[in-house]
Amino acid sequence: MKRLTLLATAALASGAAAQPGPAPTPAPPLAVEVRQCGICHGRPEFKQVDPDGTVRTLWVDEGQLATSVHAKWHCIDCHADVDRIPHPPRLALVNCQRCHFPGNPVGAPEEVNYEGYVKSVHGRLRQAGNAKAPACQDCHGGHGVRKPSDAASLVHPLHLPQTCGRCHVRVFAEYTTSAHGVSLLEKGNREAPSCSSCHGEHGILPPKENASAVSATHIPETCSNCHGMTEFNLRYGIPINPVRTFRHTFHGIANELGSVRVANCASCHTAHNILPATDPRSTVNPANIPATCGKVGCHPGANANYARGRFHIDPSSRDAGIIYWVALFFKILTVSTLAALGAHIVLDLVKKLRHRQGATVRD
Amino acid sequence: MTDHLTTLERAVAEELQTAHGLDAETAARRAADMTPRLSPRFSTWVRRELTILQRRERRRHRAETPRHRATPGGREFQRFSLNVRLQHAVMALSVIFLILTGLPLKFSDLGVSKAIISLFGGPDVSPIVHRVAASLLIAVGIWHLVYIAATREGRATFLLLLPRPQDAKDAWQQIRYFLGRTEQRPRFDKFSYVEKFDYWAVYWGMVIMIGSGTVLWFTNQFLKVFPKWFTDIAKEAHSDEALLATLAIVVWHFYNVHFNPHKFPMNRTFITGRISEQEMMEEHPREWERITSGAPLGPADSRPVEPQGGAQ
Repeated sequence: MKRLTLLATAALASGAAAQPGPAPTPAPPLAVEVRQCGICHGRPEFKQVDPDGTVRTLWVDEGQLATSVHAKWHCIDCHADVDRIPHPPRLALVNCQRCHFPGNPVGAPEEVNYEGYVKSVHGRLRQAGNAKAPACQDCHGGHGVRKPSDAASLVHPLHLPQTCGRCHVRVFAEYTTSAHGVSLLEKGNREAPSCSSCHGEHGILPPKENASAVSATHIPETCSNCHGMTEFNLRYGIPINPVRTFRHTFHGIANELGSVRVANCASCHTAHNILPATDPRSTVNPANIPATCGKVGCHPGANANYARGRFHIDPSSRDAGIIYWVALFFKILTVSTLAALGAHIVLDLVKKLRHRQGATVRD
Repeated sequence: MTDHLTTLERAVAEELQTAHGLDAETAARRAADMTPRLSPRFSTWVRRELTILQRRERRRHRAETPRHRATPGGREFQRFSLNVRLQHAVMALSVIFLILTGLPLKFSDLGVSKAIISLFGGPDVSPIVHRVAASLLIAVGIWHLVYIAATREGRATFLLLLPRPQDAKDAWQQIRYFLGRTEQRPRFDKFSYVEKFDYWAVYWGMVIMIGSGTVLWFTNQFLKVFPKWFTDIAKEAHSDEALLATLAIVVWHFYNVHFNPHKFPMNRTFITGRISEQEMMEEHPREWERITSGAPLGPADSRPVEPQGGAQ
């Protein structure tokens, strides 16, 4: 109670104008001193049977709370709607914005991206009344909130797939067996992408929306954050720059020019089940190429010919095979032709200009 | 007479002749007489003044007499028939559209490419424009083959366009002329080696572009029979030859027909099909001799015509 009052006073002192978020309002006078939450919630056997028969534990692990970033706060600092004991059976969802807003007086991290969340697919569904859509505590944890850099945090890159996977079960299953998932989760390679590396954090948008980092128009750019760097690619045994070479295919050109119909990275490599072409499970394994290219709306009836040739061709590299030689032939033809024609033009131009001048000033 | 004079002396002599009305001999003597006495600084000044005067004179002269146009009442020659001009027009139009909807794909990372493609309806519509223009180009190719096979004029023109040993000799002499090794320019017939090169370059371009373009147009059908690398070759060849053809047209063809100092800024022959007798004598002397010798005209020969009022 003392702390809450302190907080409210501090908020008032800091000036109301500087507060975009709702300031912690002074709580109504409490009927009892709410200090004794642990009497009930401190017991692991404290449970409740909901009307539908499900059993909910009401136990709050004080150890978890004590190691969280909110250890110094009291229960009612967040559960502000508790003004008497026993409190009403269902409390309101804790509003994190009470503290986490820019210019907040209590030193809570301000970089929390509420606006992004509100506009995100999660925030929009939540606002539309979908109780299954995640709020802050669904990803960050309720009582055990830790910094994302903390290895025990639910949103630490190594834990994020499991956290997202609680809802996105099938995606989680695909991801964990993919090259990215195996590298991150099994080998602990922190360079490998977790969910947020591609999808973003708070402002996650569905891939169908143009602004999404994984939309058809943005996916090459998103993949190029890693696969656009040659050293990076070489480190993982990818000899060519997959994004740059994609950019020079008809797929890549149409994509760059704004076509959403045309194949992008994920169309062939899938979104989550990304595997090297050598893996028989990969959609870009030669055996699977006909099925991958033959998707509805792409190249129906694709056969094994689609796999007979190279992909992600760099015509200036010897690895391109016959394409290298074709490109070299045209390079030589173009340079030599234009050199000869250019020389002819220069000689002709000099002669014609001299000729005009020659009528009067002779050299 | 003036062979023994230095450049400066010759220039002074010339000026004495034109400005002071002296006869050539007196002018040369005076010039030789006076110039050695001039200090180097003074002679530089004289030379510069003369150059400025001469330039002014030339400009006046040029303004008064339009270059390379039919002198009033002078004869003109019908160099290209309407059939040929229409072939050229359709081809030029289709090639312009093909370049505009094609090259931006080769340079898709440039901002201007995106702007041009959206001008043609974006990535979904501009490919259709490209294919319509390609169909026009294929049509004009067939039209031309029929023309050179089935018409008297076409057959005779084609024969004139066939490369001959004389073309290599002409090219060699032209280079020697450029370099000042000879004063004698090669004497061309109706088609010089430059024009023959342009004509045959189009064959090469048409074969490569239409061949590879067809593969790219019907990729799904071709892939039923051919491996993917076959379509990859088509893509590479289409893209590379497109650039070569564009550069050849914009640099070489445009210079030779429009942008060279004798024709700049535009030669109207591709519209009217006509050239002046003066141009005929300078650029196609062999044909001009043939035509004016009184011998019967061949079906491909340029015909003398009365100058049109409208055509300058």
